[in-house]
Amino acid sequence: MQVYKYQELMEKLENDELEQIGLGPEVYAQLLAIYLYQSELSKAKLLWMRMSDNLKNKEENKELTQLHLLTVALQKNDSSDFFDYIKFEWSENVKPIVEDLLAKQREELFTLMGTAYASIYEQNLLEMTQMSAEELKSACAALNWTQEQDGDQVIILPIPKETVSSVAGDDQLLKLTEFVSFLEN
Amino acid sequence: MGSALENYVNQVRTLSASVSYRELADELPESLSLLVRNWSILDNVLETLDMQQHSLGVLYVLLAKLHSTTAANPEPTQIITLMRDFVNRGNVEQLRFAICAFYEVCHLFTEFVVQKNLSILGIKILSRAIERIREMATQLTPIHADLCQLSLKAKNFNLALPYLDTDITDISTVAAELKNQQQQQQQHNVDANNDAKYFLLYYYYGGMIYTAVKNYERALYFFEVCITTPAMAMSHIMLEAYKKFLMVSLIVEGKIAYIPKNTQVIGRFMKPLANHYHDLVTVYGTASSEELRIIILKYSEVFTRDNNMGLAKQVATSLYKKNIQRLTKTFLTLSLSDVASRVQLSSATEAERYILKMIKSGEIYATINQKDGMVLFKDDPEKYNSPDMFLNLQTNITHVLDLVKQINKMEEEIMLNPLYVKKALGSQDDDLTSEQGKTNATYQQTNSQIFKFKDSTD
Repeated sequence: MQVYKYQELMEKLENDELEQIGLGPEVYAQLLAIYLYQSELSKAKLLWMRMSDNLKNKEENKELTQLHLLTVALQKNDSSDFFDYIKFEWSENVKPIVEDLLAKQREELFTLMGTAYASIYEQNLLEMTQMSAEELKSACAALNWTQEQDGDQVIILPIPKETVSSVAGDDQLLKLTEFVSFLEN
Repeated sequence: MGSALENYVNQVRTLSASVSYRELADELPESLSLLVRNWSILDNVLETLDMQQHSLGVLYVLLAKLHSTTAANPEPTQIITLMRDFVNRGNVEQLRFAICAFYEVCHLFTEFVVQKNLSILGIKILSRAIERIREMATQLTPIHADLCQLSLKAKNFNLALPYLDTDITDISTVAAELKNQQQQQQQHNVDANNDAKYFLLYYYYGGMIYTAVKNYERALYFFEVCITTPAMAMSHIMLEAYKKFLMVSLIVEGKIAYIPKNTQVIGRFMKPLANHYHDLVTVYGTASSEELRIIILKYSEVFTRDNNMGLAKQVATSLYKKNIQRLTKTFLTLSLSDVASRVQLSSATEAERYILKMIKSGEIYATINQKDGMVLFKDDPEKYNSPDMFLNLQTNITHVLDLVKQINKMEEEIMLNPLYVKKALGSQDDDLTSEQGKTNATYQQTNSQIFKFKDSTD
């Protein structure tokens, strides 16, 4: 998944914001959603702060408030709030972005769980992900996570995810040659 | 149109046509008071001038318009459109002859849009102005400070950040311009003392912007430049920067960051005026979150008045994190409730939340075991054998190489400077303060870069 997916749209919206005043709520909603998707939390927070008050508090702009709640949840690292607030009737305007955001956050959460927990109660994980028991089961199965019984509760044992990244060998060689030539001169 | 104004237009037209910009730039300041007096018909004057051919003439009309905003009370959009047009189409070659007036226009324009609460519309215009007037990408102009001010007012840093990220190697000042041009009209004497003000403001505002986007290391550097600027007396900008410097250095390093010795101003003037903040530093040193909370509460009035309350809260959070990090050095495993009591958090759940957050951001390495409620602290798993680390190393090396090149270049420049050669040959002990000032900023930057580089390798 690429972070730069909405880069072009974002640049256009940012530019609009700098040249006009009195933009509609849909522009702000889109920009806010993109910032969240790109994990630019401080940008999202600032955007909310500079929005005019008569946009924020209106009933028909509930979407904006909802997006702000998502920002706050992400800032507090409160995933259960986040996945709760994201269940909302999003307008067509931001729907694709929010869907991408959801998928990205889920993936990140599971990666984090893999590294941060040796064992976690299923109940807690259910709450954090706000998924149904079946959904969670299949997600864990896909990651090869096992579980065991602890009294009447189920404990899930996550496995850290292997990260693979590669850089072309030629590139490395080129860089190293550069350094050596610098040191010798 | 009054005949005096007609004369103005004619003067601009003839001198522009004969390409005598120097002469024109020298004579125009005299007409400024005339233009300001006739503010009501300036639009007519503008109609007879062309933005590109008569940029200098238009510049002074704009200056007069901005000087007379209180009397004329113009439509803000009209001024903004005019300014945008001028910045985009004005002839830079001509403007260079009257660069001080151009800076003044930008300062007044900033004041105007801030007053009208339209800061966000000014950001792009000023960024364009910097883009066009600066001689190289690493030159600092007085307009930079205005751009930062507008960005802060509008809470929009997208355009300002790229400027802040660029390391400065050269400073364009009004004093230097005046010296270059030997333009010493009495009527229009630009106050060269403002150079220091805009320099300090740039680093102060810049530090604030970096703090807002939570890039604390860079913010610390900006505040440091601001407070270590050689000075005989203290500026209020420096004092405010010093207060923020103290708080940000707690967040970044947990203690007061190293301050170069050559800054007597700090000890003599700033410390006594910032004693509340020094108390905060002392309490932070005791590592007790409870006492820190109490002192923040006690001084909350001062912090709120200085607009530093938000930063104070960040300081409090950072102490919890620092304390947890400290635990990882002593313990291999610890129960969550023990963590909570040791760092004075209210419950095991809250401790778990902090730890999870820190694992996520890579501040500690640990795994939580919910089954027995324990945390297992681990060593940094980095083995320095991954391609990622190699890439990291590469970028750092490249950065350092660039800095070395830059310093060599600047050193060469200084060695070829006739003034330097004369001094160096005359008396060896003479202080070269003026040359040092110029390289100071880059030198500090290099130092911190090299330290950073060390950190990531050892």
